[in-house]
Order: sequence, then C-alpha cells, then structure tokens
Amino acid sequence: MLEVKNVSVRYPGSTEDALSEINLTFKKGEFVCILGKSGAGKSTFIRCFNGLQKPSQGEVFWNGESVTKMKEKQLRKIRREMGMIFQHFNLIPRLNVLQNVSTGMFGYRSTYKNLVGWFSSEEMDRSKQVIADVGLTEQINRRIEHLSGGQKQRVGIARALLQQPQVLLGDEPVSSLDPGTSNHIFTLLQQMHERLELLTVINVHDVDLARRYATRIIALEEGKIIFDGKPEAFKQNEFNMTYHSIKKKEHSYT
Amino acid sequence: MWFKRRNIITVIVLLLFIGISMRLTEFDLTKFKDFRNMIDFLSQWFPMDFSKFPNMVYDSLETLSMAFLGSFFGLLIALPISFIAAWNTSPSKYLFHFSRFALSFVRSIPEIVFGLILLTALGLGPFPAVLAIMFHNIGVLGKLISELIESADPGPQEAMKAVGAKNWFAYLFSIIPQIWPNVLSHYFYRFEVAIRTSLILGFIGGGGIGQRLFNDFKTFQYSSVSLDVLIIMVIVIAVDLYGSHVRNKII
Repeated sequence: MLEVKNVSVRYPGSTEDALSEINLTFKKGEFVCILGKSGAGKSTFIRCFNGLQKPSQGEVFWNGESVTKMKEKQLRKIRREMGMIFQHFNLIPRLNVLQNVSTGMFGYRSTYKNLVGWFSSEEMDRSKQVIADVGLTEQINRRIEHLSGGQKQRVGIARALLQQPQVLLGDEPVSSLDPGTSNHIFTLLQQMHERLELLTVINVHDVDLARRYATRIIALEEGKIIFDGKPEAFKQNEFNMTYHSIKKKEHSYT
Repeated sequence: MWFKRRNIITVIVLLLFIGISMRLTEFDLTKFKDFRNMIDFLSQWFPMDFSKFPNMVYDSLETLSMAFLGSFFGLLIALPISFIAAWNTSPSKYLFHFSRFALSFVRSIPEIVFGLILLTALGLGPFPAVLAIMFHNIGVLGKLISELIESADPGPQEAMKAVGAKNWFAYLFSIIPQIWPNVLSHYFYRFEVAIRTSLILGFIGGGGIGQRLFNDFKTFQYSSVSLDVLIIMVIVIAVDLYGSHVRNKII
C-alpha cells in the first residue's frame, strides 16, 4: 500500500545523507514505530510519505502511484488521505478547538469556502463527533492557547481523524509530553488505529512505548535502517550496542 | 576594572563630535540674553481667540482623516506585498528581490518629498497628502510585516499543507492569526506617526489643522495660533493614549 523505494535525502549544503537508500513496504493495519535518536532521520523519513519532503533520490509509492513525482494538485489528494500529528502540535493560534479541528476538512473543500469559513451543519456534526471521540467535548469552544499539552495533541489527533485518513503519521507526537500523558495519547492512537483500520507510522524515541504499542519496529541510525521486525524480536541491548559503538566512534575522533 | 583605556578614547571622540556639531549648528546660549522678546512674543498668544473654533475642529477632522486614510490604504496595499517580500512565502525569487527593492526604495523617500512632488502635480489640498502618507507607509509597513511573516512559526504552515490545503492558502491561514496582533500594533503606531506627518504636510499646502496653523502664524494671528497648538496637542495625546490602550488589549 505504501512503498518506499531506494529513497535518499540530502539537505542542501550538507555533505552527508540525512537518509540513505531506504527500501520498505508498509501494509494496512500495521502499527509501526520508528525508533532512533534525534538526527537519525526519523522526521525526514516520515515527511517523504506525504510529500512535505522531496527525496533527492528514489521514490515513494502510494497505492502504486509515485508521490514523489506528483504536482501540487494530486499531492493534495494524497495528503488529505494521510492524517499527520506533530511534536509541537502545530495548531492554528487564536482559534478554538472546534475551529482548529475543522481545518482537517480543508483538503476536501473549495478554497473559497475555507477562506470564508462556511461549514454546513453536516460538516459541523462531523467535527463535533471527532472531538467527542478524543474526549474534548467540554473544551470545544476554548482557545487552544488555554489547553494543556495532552489536550493540544488530542486536538491534533481529532484534526487528523477528520481527514478520514487511511494513514496516520506521527512525528514524535509525545516527545513534549510527560510519560502518563504519552501513554494516554498512545492508547487513543491505538483505539483509532483499530477502529478505522489504519496504517499508523509514528516516530518515537521511547523504546518502551514502541514495544508496548507497535506491531512492527523500525530503528534508524544515521539515515540507515538498523532493525526492522516484530517488537518481540527487538532487543534493546542490540540497539544500545550500536548506540554504544557510535559513542565509541565519536570518542575516537577526539 | 570596568573602566578601560578604550573608554577614554570614546569620550574624546564624543567630545569632538559635540564640538563639531555645535559649530555647524551655530549653537550659542548667549542668544538667550534677548529672552524678554520671547516672553513679549508669547504674551501675544493670549487670550486665545475662539471665533474660528468650529473651522479649526473641521480642519482637525481633515487632518485625522488624512492620517487615517493614508496609513490604512498603506496597510491594505502593504499586506499582500509583504507576503511576496518574505522569503518563506514569496512565489518566486525574482518577485522577492524586486518587491524588497521596491519597498526599500519607497521607504527611502521621506513623506515631505512625496508631498512636494504630489502637491505640485495634483494641486494643493489634502488628497496629495493622503497619497504621500500612503506611499511611505507601504514601504514601512511592507518591511515590518514581511519580517513578521518570516519569523512566524513554520509548524502550523506545515500542518495546513498536510491536511491538503492549497499551498498559498496554507500560508495565509496559518500565518495571519500568528502575526495579527503585531500587525495591528505596528499599524496603530504608524497611524500616530501619520498624524504628525499630516501636520507637516499641511505646512506645504496639504490642508488640515497644520495648514491653518501655518497660515495663522504667517499672518500674525497669534491668538489663533495658540488655540491651533492646543487642539493639536489634544489630538496627539488622545491618539497616543487610545493607541497604547488598543495595543495593550490585543497583545
């Protein structure tokens, strides 16, 4: 369903690849967690899926179509099928919960309607439904500046769900939240994943969270895949070992 | 420990600058020995002459309208230009550089120069003054707003692209709420400045209370001059107070 073929990304002005020659296939129903330290290429990788990042080499295929070669118009149709949540939530300031969640419909509506902010009562009901799904009905008219971190991420999830997505992408969605809240968010993500039969791909750096919720773990290091398989097969010490070896290497430079 | 030799040099250089500037500006405190003349002159300002008060109020409204129209049209035109003149939202590199250049060019010409040109070309009156204020404000507000756009958080812009909104709409929709309070605050400041500018433009024939003040002064009607000055002071203070009230409220 989602295929990554030989994808490399090199940022302008850099001499090293942020991602190098990644080949992967994802299927519907998988709950994938991508592990890796900061700078391992997780965010770059996940942004290639919906075309927010253009690979410098290789292609990403969505149901057989190349996302990489798409023009803006086609790309927008792909993007609206992929909900995305972010580390810093990326909500629109000065708007309330309902207004923010409703932006999830933008990909399906005319730009004129979006600009004026006209929503039919059926569309309003759908927004209210997803807000109820993430448990924010009481805060529906509150401005997002007045919400806690966990609540903000719930708004982000509601916005993504309103896109009626087939894929849910998460770019470190719990990295700025405390462990308890992180767990709540992941439980919610898992519920939605099962109810809507999604493909879910989430970046994390908490190994325990990945172990608990993922059906498949991919570990990245310096833009390369160092593990791909079932969570049971993922040994933390293996990961630590490579982590250690890198440290040693860094050490030898000094 | 904090006083270094470099500081002595700074002081010497400063003293030198002060000396040169005093020479060039004919700075001379002994001129105050004729201070009596000033008191005689100022005593002619009183009592104030209220006979033309209604006309003065009308002229003040004209001044306020000049400042408002000039700065507001400036804002309306500057807003779209500033999106072109911000590197993160500019549609093309050439347009970016061109709009940047155009803005700084317009900004480098003082309102009084615009005023002199336009008043000659279009005839005396407040309309050319409105245009002069507008042109200068396009330059100033365009630069300030494009800087606000450049420093806006890119996260929400990315999120709006990710939901499938058109790129230009994603920028507009996520950036405007972020910069809005600062845009209004800049605007109100420019409005206050525009009031002072429209007084000066009145001196060269741009109408309003500025022109009345200038005419009264030139025709030695000092008892009217004093009332003109009082009205101007009231306007400036009122707008200052209102402006800071509005700015405190939106931020």
